[in-house]
Amino acid sequence: MAEPSIQSRLGLAPGTPPLVSLRGVGKVFPGVIANADVDLDVFPGEIHALLGENGAGKSTLMNILTGIYQPDEGEIIVGGRAVSFASPVDAIAAGIGMVHQHFKLVRAFTVAENIHLGWSETPRRISRAALEARTAELSSRLGLAVNPAARVAELSTGEQQRVEILRVLARKARVLILDEPTAVLTPAEARELFAALRAFVAEGNAVIFISHKLDEVLEIAHRVTILRQGRKVATDWTEACTEKSLAQQMVGREIVLSDMRGTDIGRIGAPVLALEGVSLMSEGVTLLKNVSLELRAGEILGIAGVAGNGQRELTQVMTGLAVPTTGRVWLEGADVTRAGARRIAAQGVGHIPEDRLHAGMAPALSITDNAVLREYAKPPLSLGPLFRPWRATRLAREIAAAAEVMVPSFEMPARNLSGGNQQRLVARREMRIASKVLVAAYPSRGLDVGAINTMMRYFTELRDAGVAVVLVSEELEELLTLADRIAVMFHGEIMGVVPAEGADIEAIGLMMGGRHAA
Amino acid sequence: MSYRLQRLPVAKPSVAFAARIASVVLALLTAGLVLKLVGMEPLALAGRVLKSTFGSSFGLEDLALLFTPLLYCGLAVAVALRIGAWNIGAEGQFNLGAFAAAGIALFVPGPDWAQLPAMAVTGALAGAAWILVPTLARAYAGVSELITTLLLNFVALLLVYWVSTGPWLDPSGHALATTARLPVSVPEFWGIVHWGLPVAVILAVGLAAVFAFTRWGYEVRIGGSNPGAARYAGMPVRRHLIAVMLLSGAIAGLGGMMEVAGTVGRLQGGISNNYGYLGIMVAVLARAAPLGTIATAFLMATILNGGIILQTQGLTTHTVLALTGLILLYAAIGDEAAKYRIVKLAKGA
Repeated sequence: MAEPSIQSRLGLAPGTPPLVSLRGVGKVFPGVIANADVDLDVFPGEIHALLGENGAGKSTLMNILTGIYQPDEGEIIVGGRAVSFASPVDAIAAGIGMVHQHFKLVRAFTVAENIHLGWSETPRRISRAALEARTAELSSRLGLAVNPAARVAELSTGEQQRVEILRVLARKARVLILDEPTAVLTPAEARELFAALRAFVAEGNAVIFISHKLDEVLEIAHRVTILRQGRKVATDWTEACTEKSLAQQMVGREIVLSDMRGTDIGRIGAPVLALEGVSLMSEGVTLLKNVSLELRAGEILGIAGVAGNGQRELTQVMTGLAVPTTGRVWLEGADVTRAGARRIAAQGVGHIPEDRLHAGMAPALSITDNAVLREYAKPPLSLGPLFRPWRATRLAREIAAAAEVMVPSFEMPARNLSGGNQQRLVARREMRIASKVLVAAYPSRGLDVGAINTMMRYFTELRDAGVAVVLVSEELEELLTLADRIAVMFHGEIMGVVPAEGADIEAIGLMMGGRHAA
Repeated sequence: MSYRLQRLPVAKPSVAFAARIASVVLALLTAGLVLKLVGMEPLALAGRVLKSTFGSSFGLEDLALLFTPLLYCGLAVAVALRIGAWNIGAEGQFNLGAFAAAGIALFVPGPDWAQLPAMAVTGALAGAAWILVPTLARAYAGVSELITTLLLNFVALLLVYWVSTGPWLDPSGHALATTARLPVSVPEFWGIVHWGLPVAVILAVGLAAVFAFTRWGYEVRIGGSNPGAARYAGMPVRRHLIAVMLLSGAIAGLGGMMEVAGTVGRLQGGISNNYGYLGIMVAVLARAAPLGTIATAFLMATILNGGIILQTQGLTTHTVLALTGLILLYAAIGDEAAKYRIVKLAKGA
């Protein structure tokens, strides 16, 4: 047990306190536990990586640390004292600053103006030349090269990021939080950034580095904290980690959810939906590349992959929202490549879209209007051209009851419902029409564990009723629990399709990173 | 104890309605204050306006004649808003409707019974034609209809000025800047008030029914609120956009026909009298609800009529424009303010 202390491994004097500590921090949003009981220590001279899947609670935790949210439980300790930040202004005054993934710069302003915007040390009256001189001085002192007179809109993404970092450092931050900073950088820019970060921590400061790129975490960070479902899984020295070990901890060391896969082999029936050599190009970018998939009645096909690798386009092609550039889509032997969303839905294909507020609902309209989006044109809601609102309300009641959503008023705009309730309503609405296929994109995103279980139960019910379900998810655990087969996508391509039973998580992880199935 | 503003996801309808009323009252108070500061007697003026508007059947008839074109233009703008389009060009479509209807009346002989329906149809078609190019540009090229419809107003306005002072000038020589009196007119049913008014009210009720009780109305509602969701449900969003915008232009065109053949009797420059622009106010204040436009068009007509009376008291027409502007400004502030509520905070929280 004579393990050297963290301080000594970082080359600090024994007993050096952390720059910032979180103790038992928890945050609950309606229906969602964003963080629970998270401890985190960040020492001077340390680059500390924060690793986790989307929705694991990384951003919420950092928003708490920078005063955007207030924790429901636990405390933040800076310099040995518990502090509470009412806003990011308080956090930066305590030396904690964050560079967000989406830059918060005024594009029409110059670099110098952006650096000085909203800063208490900006002189009340100052000439443009003096402002630029101050900026140039800061830039050389902090070792971040920027052109003070340039307009932000004219800068490359890497340069804009440098302005953001300079903005934070100029306010004397000692803890710099970076949210997926390399996502927008070229490899050369990323190397420059890493060099700047190393120089920054060498002066006794600290960096919290949010990422889900494993290689990068191993390269830059001293220690790494892994979050899963809002909780801290572990904090480890990166020397002791491998990409495999990190991936395992990120998706779950062991799969604890009960196996929901069907057991009856004979239930899987005839092919229902098939994609044949489907490619999709848009403005010169290949979104889907030669995708062939066959979906059979009574099976759940999982689609794994890091978000943004063509999953959205795949669901759009399957539901008629996008017409493939090449290739064909077959529904029960009929060519529906160009049939369009209405005809495909009418033939029994339901669709729970990825972004329900923008694609699956009209949030400003009433719950009734939203609930009947799939069935408004059919009797009894419509007779010929006539629409009968009272029948619509009756159907909306039915759907809300089946979805177990309490609706105080069906005239209320749908945006007043919580995200989880919106998702349940959409899911129930789509299940009603999904007599052959249900395409569900990230159905559990943003839901708490209970709501996720309900959603999964819906899918198994459909599967057992002989419907083919396509389940797009980033949660491998979810796919392994539920799916019969898992297809892995990378850059618009299917890297391989593996049976979920006995699937090798590492092999899937490698395919998610772009390696073809062995 | 300290107080803090808390933002609500949506305004409560009762609060939003109260904010609307308050915005009108505040605008009137502001105008009154300014009048007081320049040495007028706002209360006496208000009394005179109310008395001459509502105190006699002549006043009410004048009011009705202002109300009619405002209702057509308000409905035109409101209908377009249903699909999420801003028709700033009701003014131009109104002019074109008047122009086309006058053309039929003056130069296409026909039996009396056929003349008025022909004028109404032509007026509506002319209004639709005037918004056709902005509609197609928006539907197929994503060009903002705000600018295109606005700019076409000036073309339409000048076209009417030109024909009424040039080629179509009254040949009798009595009038300097109008066409001859149209041989047919929309019949009157009360004093000088013609059937254009009931037709407009029926139109408003009909439109409200269409939006509430037809499949098409439901699809327009979804398409206007979230085109993404409409596409997801397989609705023909573009086709609905085109149909609704053309309908909007047609309503404004019909308004122009009623104005030239009912109220004015001749085609003359400036016949639209800013009704198209005021129609935007009417529609916005009614939140694009067809039945609501009946009430807001009435309010706007009262203000406009008040302005005419104020002119006889030495105030300029700009007073009315300023007053309508104030109402819109306060209504916008009220809409935003209705989304907040004041909460008490315990000290130190």
